[in-house]
Amino acid sequence: MSCHVGIDVGGTYTDAVYLEQGQIQRTAKVPTQEENLVETIVNVLETLNLPDVRQVNQITVSTTLVTNAILQKRLPPVNLLLFPGNGMSLNALPWPVDYQVLSGEMDFRGREVNPSNPSEWQRLSWKERSGSPELVAVVGKFSHRNNSHENRLADYLRKSYPKCQIALGHEWGQANFYRRSLTTHLNLGVTGCYQLFAQQLQTALSGLKIQAPIAILKADGGILPIGKLRPIESIYSGPAASVLAALTQSETSASTIVVDIGGTTTDLGLILSGTPLLSSRGAQIGPYSTLVHSLAVRSIPVGGDSVIETCEQGFELKNYRLGSAYCLGGKALTPTDAMRYLGLIDYGNRQLAEEALASHCPPDLRAPQYYQQLAGDIIEAVVNRIAEAVDSLKREWQDEPAYKVWEVLHPHEAQTFNTLLSGGGAQGLTKALGKRLGTPVQLGVYPEVSNALGAAMARPTFDCTLHLDTYMKRYHVQETGEQGKWMGSPRPYREVEDFLDQLVQKQAEQYGIQIHEIEKEPFDFFPIVQNYQTVGQIIRGAAHLRPGVIGRVVK
Amino acid sequence: MKRTGILFFPAFDWSLGNSHPEREERLLYTQEQLFEEGILDLPQMKQFTPRVASLADVAQAQALFPTPSLYPETLDPHLIAAGSAILLGEARIRGEISNGFVLVRPPGHHSGATVWGNRGFCTINNEAILINQLRARYGIKKIAIVDTDVHHGDGTQDIFYHDPNILFISLHQDGRTLYPGSGFIDEQGGPNAWGQTLNIPLPPGTGDEGYHYVLETWVLPRLQAFKPELIINSAGQDNHFTDPLASMNLTASGYGRITELLQPDLAVLEGGYSIEGALPFVNLAILLALAGEDYHHVREPQKIGRSSLPLATLKPYVETLKKQTQMVKPDFTIHNVKFFPPGEWVYIPRSVYYDTEGFQETRQDFVRKCNHCAGTVYIESQRSHAKTKSVLVRIPFEACPQCEQAGYDLWEYVQQHHQEIHSGLLQNQLHNQHQVWQRKKD
Repeated sequence: MSCHVGIDVGGTYTDAVYLEQGQIQRTAKVPTQEENLVETIVNVLETLNLPDVRQVNQITVSTTLVTNAILQKRLPPVNLLLFPGNGMSLNALPWPVDYQVLSGEMDFRGREVNPSNPSEWQRLSWKERSGSPELVAVVGKFSHRNNSHENRLADYLRKSYPKCQIALGHEWGQANFYRRSLTTHLNLGVTGCYQLFAQQLQTALSGLKIQAPIAILKADGGILPIGKLRPIESIYSGPAASVLAALTQSETSASTIVVDIGGTTTDLGLILSGTPLLSSRGAQIGPYSTLVHSLAVRSIPVGGDSVIETCEQGFELKNYRLGSAYCLGGKALTPTDAMRYLGLIDYGNRQLAEEALASHCPPDLRAPQYYQQLAGDIIEAVVNRIAEAVDSLKREWQDEPAYKVWEVLHPHEAQTFNTLLSGGGAQGLTKALGKRLGTPVQLGVYPEVSNALGAAMARPTFDCTLHLDTYMKRYHVQETGEQGKWMGSPRPYREVEDFLDQLVQKQAEQYGIQIHEIEKEPFDFFPIVQNYQTVGQIIRGAAHLRPGVIGRVVK
Repeated sequence: MKRTGILFFPAFDWSLGNSHPEREERLLYTQEQLFEEGILDLPQMKQFTPRVASLADVAQAQALFPTPSLYPETLDPHLIAAGSAILLGEARIRGEISNGFVLVRPPGHHSGATVWGNRGFCTINNEAILINQLRARYGIKKIAIVDTDVHHGDGTQDIFYHDPNILFISLHQDGRTLYPGSGFIDEQGGPNAWGQTLNIPLPPGTGDEGYHYVLETWVLPRLQAFKPELIINSAGQDNHFTDPLASMNLTASGYGRITELLQPDLAVLEGGYSIEGALPFVNLAILLALAGEDYHHVREPQKIGRSSLPLATLKPYVETLKKQTQMVKPDFTIHNVKFFPPGEWVYIPRSVYYDTEGFQETRQDFVRKCNHCAGTVYIESQRSHAKTKSVLVRIPFEACPQCEQAGYDLWEYVQQHHQEIHSGLLQNQLHNQHQVWQRKKD
């Protein structure tokens, strides 16, 4: 029997759900102790009161641990060493970290343009007072095509400073030197706190006699075993979880706008024919541009508790909250009060809601028809804000770059969407949002624990992107950074398909995941021509396991 | 903030033939270089997604013969390149971007007013289609094109040869030494647009210094005098010292400087076939220069192998060329055919070679001399070994009533009485309309 636990560690609350065969059996909610996430998780599991811990097959955790460590600047110092070579000036882009520049340059085929210079390495300066580095990230431009400069420097560092931890850029085997540098730097910076968390969590769960494997939710909506994950990939798992939760409640191939309305923030996502839309660029976290794959989501600062202030033009929807809504004993007029007054929700005191609305009307306009008008306008303002963000998300989808004739001639079909609404502020906005977006609107089940539900039902994602240069006789795997020698023919056909299959198998084993439903992209073949002779090929191919869920939730 | 638009469409699934220079691989390394540099992460950079131009967009600039629907070659990749140029041009007009780079293939500047096939790797003319769309839809009047491809931009010249509102300047390796063998100083425009075409043929071996000297002392003053609303750069990259088809000596950073000097509103990729040695670096330098970033550190791995022409040798050559250019006086033949509407018609015969498939087009061009507008153009065209002809009648932007009437009279006459002609296109640029006609079989 499949028994899954999903836990979502949020900023304020930590939620958990327990499902058997896709049916929600129990839910729990406890306050998050920012300083002790492991204890929080233990707490919520105890509150959940699992009927039989031995039956649990898997525990999936979505946590803000890494996100918060980065945004709250709680990272240890990392020494970043770069081989930038020629090209665009480094300072054309904003670098939120400092770095040291070394000589050595590769080109786009992985050929050495200028050698590295070991005599420079002895003169490097370290951030540590002790004079020996603890964390060192080494990144070369085009290191994803040839990692030898990085490797050579790593060898030197290992020999000279046996205790230092080294991270190499080519392990993030995707183009973009700038993002690769920052990603390598950040991931090394958060590794320590992540490993501590992983270790403590495993110990604590053994203490609860839970033997089930633990998986962590990633920004792309996939999961990986806690020990296999690269920590930085766990950022933004919250919004991913809410998209997955929507997926568990919609038909397999439906296209859905996911709207999760909280107290101060509304999260949005897009599901296209059953698959969540991935962002075509890497995730941005604070000042860091990364290579982390994430779902295309929007977070806008508007929610049920957003403060409404009077201004010359009427009123203004503010980006913050001051406690709860007026009708629930708070201090300020909020969209929740407007919903209460109009009878769109049934909680809160209607008298208080009216008071709040009245205080925003001039003395000569204090009558029910004006309150009605104001309340309606407030709801319209909230809905407009959400609709604008939905439009921007749809634009991101439609504006995805295309590099092939086929792609341009076969654009994404215009889809009929429906909207899945969840979160505290959802109920009262159903009608208005449906009208504004022009789609049917459905309310999510268990809105108070939807992220935990999304986590519980998440499945692994998997990408294996091959770049093969048969002339240089080298291959590269984007996701793992693996680089190796190509022994096959210069113009392979079937051979390269088998090769990709082998890579996929190997990588899946390394991650410790089962793969079904693998989706293969058609290969791109680029004949390499010299003096009108074809001398080899560059071949690009990829296999994916797209983000998805293990099943639908049974209502 | 000053924003730079980039439309990158490398057409990774299209080629003119397996080992043809215009093949899938052409922009592959450019992609590697641009993406690795993180140039799309520059705060001022905005990426656009391609669009397909319609045949109607094409018809305002060029006649596809025998008719657009009977045109034999598949047009998809070409229409995407042209559509992408229009898209970025519109973004520029709307002020979404301050400048932009249409980094697309296939190229277009050898494709002229009439098209029977691919020539010089070009089928339709991206810049010309873009320009006429911007004029038709946004009322832009004066546009300058500076063609910095190593080959003479003969197609673009052909399309705008009679148009006084388009200044066309082409810098190229001397036509006596390189395809397409045209672009000499006596080609300065038709009778109504004399001096609006400027050809600057340069000797093989010209390098950065020489090229920049020509821009600063000749091209820029000419541009300033014209005061265009938009400058379009046909940014071919085959002046680079590694180019396999030409013999010039420019560097990537030299191209950055060209861009900085010209300050184009849009750069549109044309040729350039040193796909490893030049394109990744030249494209990077152009893009950085457009974005206002430092391009001086862009350095190609190879060093200049062939000898450069010293500036001291080039200067007197350029001064002589300038003088000779000024001394050329218009010399046109008036030839009023019997059925032509009233007015003086200048006759310019032309022959166009289509190298890709190896055939010849014979043309008889006529333009109505006019003091009020660009003058109606009438072109009879015949593909070699074909029995029939096709015709292009062009009523220009801002046509005067006489010229407009002349255009319609010719269009009528041809259909009813000119049995040799079997199909044709009427371009009415004045009203942004066109008509395609094909003679019914008896």
